[in-house]
Amino acid sequence: MINKMHKLKYLFCTLFVVPIMCTHLSAQTPSDAIMMNAEQACILLEYNYGSFDQYWEGSYLRENQTIATVRRNTVMSMMAVGILDKLNFFIGVPYIKTESSDPNGGKFAGASGFQDLSLALKYQIINKEKEKGTFSALATVGFSTPVSNYLPDYMPYSLGLGAPELSYRAIAQYQWKNGLYLRGAGAFLWRGYARAEREYYYNNGSYYTSLMDVPNAVTFEGVLGLWAFKNALQLEFSYMSSNSTSGDDIRSYNAPQPTNNIDSDRLGLFAHFYVPSVKGLGIVAYHNRVVNGRNAAKINTTGVGLTYYFNYRKKQDKNETY
Amino acid sequence: MKHIKFLLSSIAVIFLLISCEKDLPNYLSYENYVFSSADEDGGSWQTTLINSGDEIIIPAPADISSAEYQQELSNLKQEVSNLSDSEEKAIEYWTDNPTIRWNEIALELIAKYNIIPGPNADGTYTLPNPNNPSGPPAFPFAHPPYAVRALAYLSVAQFDGLISAWHYKYTYNRPAPFKQDDEIKYAYSDNNIPSYPSDGAVLASVSRKILTAMFPLEAEYLEAKEAEHLRSLLLSGGYVESDIEAGKIIGNEIATEALERASTDGMKKAQTPKAVSDSIADAAYERFGWKWVNKEIPQRPVGLTPLYSQVRMWNVPNVELTRPIPPPSLDSQAYIDDVKILKDYADNITTERRRIANFWQDGLGTYTPPGHWNEFANRFIVKYKLNPLRSARTFAYLNMAMMDGGISCWDAKYYYHYPRPIQTIEGFKTIAGTPNFPSYTSGHSVFSAAGAEVLAYIFPQEATLVRGWAKEAAISRVYGGIHWTFDAYIGTEQGIDVAQYTIDVAQVDGAD
Repeated sequence: MINKMHKLKYLFCTLFVVPIMCTHLSAQTPSDAIMMNAEQACILLEYNYGSFDQYWEGSYLRENQTIATVRRNTVMSMMAVGILDKLNFFIGVPYIKTESSDPNGGKFAGASGFQDLSLALKYQIINKEKEKGTFSALATVGFSTPVSNYLPDYMPYSLGLGAPELSYRAIAQYQWKNGLYLRGAGAFLWRGYARAEREYYYNNGSYYTSLMDVPNAVTFEGVLGLWAFKNALQLEFSYMSSNSTSGDDIRSYNAPQPTNNIDSDRLGLFAHFYVPSVKGLGIVAYHNRVVNGRNAAKINTTGVGLTYYFNYRKKQDKNETY
Repeated sequence: MKHIKFLLSSIAVIFLLISCEKDLPNYLSYENYVFSSADEDGGSWQTTLINSGDEIIIPAPADISSAEYQQELSNLKQEVSNLSDSEEKAIEYWTDNPTIRWNEIALELIAKYNIIPGPNADGTYTLPNPNNPSGPPAFPFAHPPYAVRALAYLSVAQFDGLISAWHYKYTYNRPAPFKQDDEIKYAYSDNNIPSYPSDGAVLASVSRKILTAMFPLEAEYLEAKEAEHLRSLLLSGGYVESDIEAGKIIGNEIATEALERASTDGMKKAQTPKAVSDSIADAAYERFGWKWVNKEIPQRPVGLTPLYSQVRMWNVPNVELTRPIPPPSLDSQAYIDDVKILKDYADNITTERRRIANFWQDGLGTYTPPGHWNEFANRFIVKYKLNPLRSARTFAYLNMAMMDGGISCWDAKYYYHYPRPIQTIEGFKTIAGTPNFPSYTSGHSVFSAAGAEVLAYIFPQEATLVRGWAKEAAISRVYGGIHWTFDAYIGTEQGIDVAQYTIDVAQVDGAD
C-alpha cells in the first residue's frame, strides 16, 4: 500500500484549464487530490489549442463573422514543488497567442504575450484509509496576476481578464482500492479590477474610470477518475461549472468586456500516462468542451503536455508514514 | 503541523482583507461651489432657437408678501423639515449646477444606444425604426452623428431656456425662500440669484423632453429623473412650488421649439436607401477613380448616414464652404508613403500608441467622441465654477460646433468616398474597429478639433491642453489602423475651420 500511494504521488502533478471567452481562469491552479512528497518537484510543459466560432451573448448562442473563428494557442510552463508531504507549492505562467480565422469581417489584429503568473499552495487536511478505499480532503489558496501589459479590454482577443485573482478551493476525494475515484471541488475566485485604456465605459450605467470590476466567480468540479495499468495511466471524465457572482451581459452584436457576467458548463476528458521506460516522465493529453454558458465562448480546447518528476532534495526524515 | 494550519488560515484572512469593497464613479463628483459669476445680464444674451429671452411668456410671480406666497413658504418649511435619506441623496446628487447631471444622463443614454445592429440570419440588416423603437434593433443607433445632434439640441435648448429664465429672474428679482425664513436652510452655496423661475426646473423639463424625443424607449426613466430633480429643487430650500412651475413652462416651451427644428433638419433622410447610396459611391468613382466599400461580413449594403451632410447646420451657411481639399490619389507618392506608415504602426504597436488608440477610440457602446468632449467640458465647468447659464452656453457652442463639424466631415466622407486602410492594403489588420463609412476625413479629428476650439475659446487657460488633445485624438485613429494620416491632419484643420463659424456667433452673444 505504501508503495502504491507513493507511486501515485510520484506519478502526478496536475494542470487545470478553464477557458472562458478568452481567458484562462485559474489556469494553473491545482485542483486534484494528489500530494507530492517533501522532496519532489514536477515540471509541466504544455501546449493547448482552443477555438470557437460561437458564443453566448447573454444566453443567446450566436455566430459573428466579424471575428469568425477565434483561436487561442497557449504554451504553458508550470512547476510544482513538495515543500512538505502535506504542503505543495505551484507556480506557472502561460504564453498565449490569439487571432481570428480568415476571412473575417473585423480585420482585427490578434494579441500575444505572457498572461498571468499563478502561485498556489495546496494543503492536505485529511488522508484517511478506510476499509474499501481512501478519503482525502485538501484546501488550496492561489493568487494570480498579469505579468505583461496585455489589454484585458480587447475581447475576444485579450489574453486574460487582466485582474488579480485570489482563489480558495476545497477538494474532497474518495478512491476505491480498485483505482476508481470520485472527486469534487468547489472554489471561490475573488477578482480585483482590470485596467482598460479608456476612461469611460458602460456597464448598465456610466463608469467614469479606467478600472473595470471583474466579477468574482464560484466554480464547482466533479470528476470520475480511474487509475489503470498498474497506475501507469490515469483517466478522468470531468464536469466543471463556473459562475460569475455579478456582472453585465454582452450587449447585442457588441464586444465582450471584463465586467461581463460569465457562466459556463464544461465537460472534459483527461489522460496522464506515466512512461515506464523513462523515470519521471509523463505524457498528458486532454480535451475540454464548453457545452453551455452565458457571455461565454463555446470553446473547445485540446492540450498535450509533458510532465517530469524528480527529487529536488534528499529524502527527509519522516515523522509520519502513510 | 499546527503551525502550518495557522499559517494557511492567516493567509486566508489576509486574502479576505484584500478582497475589499469595489466602488467606482458613475458621475462626476464635486463639492458645491460659489459660481464665478451670477451674470445678471444673462437674460439679454442672444438666443438661438427663439428671438430673445423674453419671447417665452410666464406669469408674473405673486409678491412675497402675498398670502399665496406665504402659503407656499409654509408648505415648503414643512416639506424640508423631514427629509428622507433618498431625498438627501438626490439633493446631493443634483447639485445647483444640474446642467452637468443632465449632460451625463445624455452621455449615458448615448452609450447605452450606441449599439450597431447586427445581421439577420439571412445576412440582411434591419435598420432601427423610430416608428417601432423597440425593434429589434432598438431605436436609435446612437452613432456619433446621432449623438452629437442629440447633444446639440439638448444644449441649445437648455441655453435658450436659461437665457429666458435669467431674463425673468432679474425682471422680477424674487428672493429665494431660504433668504426669507431662517428655518429654511439652503442645501447649496448662496449665489444670490433670484429664484423665479427656477433654472433647475427649466433644465429638468427641457432635458427630459428633448432626451425623450431622442431616446423614446427611455421615456419612463427620464420622467423619473425629472421628477426626482424637480423634487430635489424644492427640498433644497432654494425654490417654492411656483418658482418651479414657472421653470417648467419655459423648459417645455423651449423644448417644443427645439424639437420642431429637429423634426425638419434633414436627419430623417440621412440614412439613405441602397440605390441612393450606390449612386453617391458611383459619382465618387466617376470623379476620382476610387470608392469606399464596406468590408464587413455580411456586407452592410449602406454606409452610415450618407446624407448627414444635408442636415441643417447651426452656424455654417453652406457645408461646401468647409469642404477640404481632395485626398491623395491611390497612385500618388503621398498615398504610398502613408501605406508605409500604417504598416509600420501595425507591425510595431508600442505601449504609447496602443494607449492613445484606445484612450480616444470612443467606439461602439461608448459615449462617442463628441461625448468625450462633453465630459471634458463638464470637468472644466466645475474647475472654473461656472453657473448653470454659462455651463449651458459652453455645451451649446461646443455641441453646435461639433455637430456642424460632423456634418462637414460627412460631406467630405461621401463626396470623396475614400477607401479605408483595410480596403486597399492587402492583409492589413487593425487594433481599432473600422467604422461603416468612408475614410476621408476622420470624424474623430473633426469633432475633436471643433470641440477643442470652442473649449479653448471659453477656457483660454486650457487652450494649449485641449488643442493638444485634439491632435492626439486625430492621430489615435492612424495608430488604430483605421485612418490615413491625411484623414487626421486635414480633418483637424477642417474642425478648426468649422468651429470658427460658431465662435464668431458666440463672441457677439452678449456674454463676453
